[in-house]
Amino acid sequence: MSRLRYYLSLCLLLLVGAMPAHAAGLVVGAIYVGSINDYGYNQSMHEGLVAMKEAVPGTKLLEAENVPETAEASRVMEGMIQQGAKLIFATSFGHQQAAFDLAKQHPDVVFEHAGGWMQAANFGNFFAATQAAWYPMGVAAGKMTKSNTLGFVAGVPIGYVIGNINAFALGARSVNPKAEVRVVAIGSWSDKAKEAAAAGALIDQGADVVTMHVDSPATVIQTAESRGVYSIGFQSLAAEKLAPKGWLTGLGFTWGPFMTETAKSVIAGTFKPAMVRDGLGKMMAVAPFGSAVPEPVRAVVTASADKVAAGFNPFTGPIVDNAGTVRIKEGESWGGDKMGNFDWYVEGVVGKAK
Amino acid sequence: MSLSLNMSLLAAVIASSILSGTSLFYATLGELVGERAGIVNLGLEGLMLIGASAGFAVTASSGDAYLGLIAAALAGSAANMIFAYVVVGRRANQLAAGLTLMFFGLGASTLIGRPFVGEVVAGLPHFGFGGFGSYDLLVWLALPNALGFWALLFRTRWGLALRAVGEDPAAAFAAGKSPNLIRYQALAIAGALGAIGGAHLALALTHTWDEGMTAGRGFIAIALVIFAKWNPLWALVGALVFGGAEIAQLELQARGADVSPFLMSMIPYLLTLIVLIFWGFNHRAAAPAALGRNFFGVE
Amino acid sequence: MLRQRLQRAAAIALAALVVFGLILVIDGKDPLRAYHDTLVYVFGNRYGFSELLVRMSPLILTAVAVALPSRLGLINVGGEGQLYMGGWLATAGALGFPDLPAWLLLPLLTMLGFLGGALWALLPALLRVGKIVNETISTLLLNYVAPLIVSYFIFGPWRSEESSSYPQSPAFVPAARLPTLDGTRIHLGLVYSVICVVLYGYVLARTRWGLDMRAIGGNAEASLRLGIPVSAYVIAAMMIAGGIAGIAGMVEVSAIQGRLVAQLSPGYGYIGFLVAWLAGGSATAILLMAFLFAVVSSTGDILQITQGVPSAVINILIAVILFIVLGQRQRPRAAS
Repeated sequence: MSRLRYYLSLCLLLLVGAMPAHAAGLVVGAIYVGSINDYGYNQSMHEGLVAMKEAVPGTKLLEAENVPETAEASRVMEGMIQQGAKLIFATSFGHQQAAFDLAKQHPDVVFEHAGGWMQAANFGNFFAATQAAWYPMGVAAGKMTKSNTLGFVAGVPIGYVIGNINAFALGARSVNPKAEVRVVAIGSWSDKAKEAAAAGALIDQGADVVTMHVDSPATVIQTAESRGVYSIGFQSLAAEKLAPKGWLTGLGFTWGPFMTETAKSVIAGTFKPAMVRDGLGKMMAVAPFGSAVPEPVRAVVTASADKVAAGFNPFTGPIVDNAGTVRIKEGESWGGDKMGNFDWYVEGVVGKAK
Repeated sequence: MSLSLNMSLLAAVIASSILSGTSLFYATLGELVGERAGIVNLGLEGLMLIGASAGFAVTASSGDAYLGLIAAALAGSAANMIFAYVVVGRRANQLAAGLTLMFFGLGASTLIGRPFVGEVVAGLPHFGFGGFGSYDLLVWLALPNALGFWALLFRTRWGLALRAVGEDPAAAFAAGKSPNLIRYQALAIAGALGAIGGAHLALALTHTWDEGMTAGRGFIAIALVIFAKWNPLWALVGALVFGGAEIAQLELQARGADVSPFLMSMIPYLLTLIVLIFWGFNHRAAAPAALGRNFFGVE
Repeated sequence: MLRQRLQRAAAIALAALVVFGLILVIDGKDPLRAYHDTLVYVFGNRYGFSELLVRMSPLILTAVAVALPSRLGLINVGGEGQLYMGGWLATAGALGFPDLPAWLLLPLLTMLGFLGGALWALLPALLRVGKIVNETISTLLLNYVAPLIVSYFIFGPWRSEESSSYPQSPAFVPAARLPTLDGTRIHLGLVYSVICVVLYGYVLARTRWGLDMRAIGGNAEASLRLGIPVSAYVIAAMMIAGGIAGIAGMVEVSAIQGRLVAQLSPGYGYIGFLVAWLAGGSATAILLMAFLFAVVSSTGDILQITQGVPSAVINILIAVILFIVLGQRQRPRAAS
């Protein structure tokens, strides 16, 4: 019996000695759907948070990778809140519901979700206005392709992704009316074996420029490079070194300034929820050109990117879908709030969006 | 679409299926050898992950993919020896032990591969013979392996002893064989093959590593063994079919065809079940009678 | 006897913790802090403890789904698939009858969950009775098909419009959600789990059916000659087991997710198999083992948040514990 008492008191001691002293600075929690070393989306989020941490002294960062896009995410976020987190970044689209439900239970914690649309007093939404930024990527692809077939590997074919594909196609066809875009959706944000196979399938169909909207561009770029076709990157600016020969250009996210601003507002108590969608120049940047891209093409692409940064909206009517129906009438244009509504492909994209 | 375009498309699909099916084939072969000895290993997924992570780690560190392959094989064998000890030495429940191995592989591979997430390797070099396309070593060795293991199982004394152990360990023992030793040997081989199957995925298909990247292929291989009637040659065919199903739906998507990837993915399993039902009606016991102890075979 | 078993269990736990601790140390992490954090955040914390109960719930159900047939000598590895089909059929009900009040809708969904899982187990049951295909293989194969069926529906006919075409079903109406305890995620499904395991224990030990089933598990031939309708029991046991796993699926969609999603289960069916096997078919032991698994997986989450260790690594601890236990047992259990 005395041994039992000994163990019990040991446990008690541990518990008592356990009370963690609360950190002086802001505790920020972040959940990622993939790995932070993915050369892509998750890495860009992580880099933004690291930049925020450096810009705001005393900040503590709690991170969890490979958090699935289901209600299980709320368990991880709750764990972070238990550790004192007052600002939570739910960085993947599918984390939205779990984060939103949790926000209702914790009015004193601020939540920022990436890529959705929900808002509440302590729940804000942010993303880059990716769709328009894909237009200059399409221009680059349209100019460089010789087979006039462009390949796009899509992760989860949600409206926003389809919007990206559409902008890409519009950009390509603006400089090359014969270009067509083929799409393969793999059904999840990251499945490396499927990505490799999807890229291969597109190349089998004749694509000589391949790009993607999946969490990590690495596998698709790698596959393209090994088969000698061009690639355009997405999500992270660092991906160029994966394809020394075939790299054309790419899009990358620059989340740091926004995250820093948000953290500061939480500390100061001035946080206001908003639907933030900043585009090229603020939340996004164009990656450097690869050696394969000749000077005149660079000039055209850069001019196109500048146009977008200045406010050009590629989704200005008349725009016809690939079945021939007019979707955006003459004089109309689809703004940022409509970007999640795409369930049709523009003319020039092969396939069905639904 | 012109005929030549269709033919070249068919060739492309076959080429991609070969690449995708090869890793399935090695994993299936490994499981097959073990099951022929009477041991069912549900932990094949864990073995594949261990092979993929160890192979990738060594390849990324050393720059030599063949070294990575060897490392993968060794790691897989070693991991399977834990399973073997528990199942053969301690006579534990095979299904439980297999699932345990799966969990072990999930955790260990994550740990091994963690420092290497995000790295890209050149992987296994490709080479070709004339007009048959350019593939890596494991693809070229697939058919020889299928033939070789068929011969090993059906034309050598060791293979005979192995099959005897799988059918009736008591009789094999009475005939002077050592069932336990043979089972250990079989599982060592099985571990190496399963791990090689996983390594092929990382070193030839994706050139990257991420946790859990086998995405259930280990379980597919277990179903494949049944589909292949525990015969290495049919395992090769089956791996092409199962691997091909995955590829085919992606290629069809790229063509713009409107086919549900999920319905297509179901086909191999339903096919296997139908085949089994068919055999069952004909009462052809194709499985090794002592497989899993009280587990396969009908009363 | 009990003291011996507890001592044994403690020794195994200690051994496993040491081995896992060593692995953590090699990886540069602090095992003592990890274990201490677990004690604090799981046991010393209301929310943490409530999460334990939430985690246990599906494991109890899938474990009973394995344990029940095992008493007849059947091996059901199909808990995973039966769970998915239960969730699928329950979703059909939730989406089809959104206007019913909760007191009607919830029992309906529960029954549909049971039915979905039961029907999925029917084919393997019939094949077994007809001596055509062994139930281990058939349930295993069907495990692959069920999630594909779910995916087909959420990418297609049941795709939610409201979330920008993200593959998931529309959210369930509040009447279709199992109620939860305030401030936690503890839900009515936990009650289902307890009821099922208690019923299982009671039926097996104290009813005529239980007696018959155990007789079949002991010697099917003899039971048949004694007049026990073996085939009927086999089908019933498999279907009830499937139904119980199906209820787990219904609980997932109704209480936890609030909709049908592609990844309903992170392997609950297989973990349930291990829980049932560890428990040797005893109802109380199932509760204990489910609790143990819940604790271990909570540790995984905490490791991830506090020390940056990927939560998948906790599988090593689970595996070590299990290998040690597997290495001990020498007597063949009734369940195998």
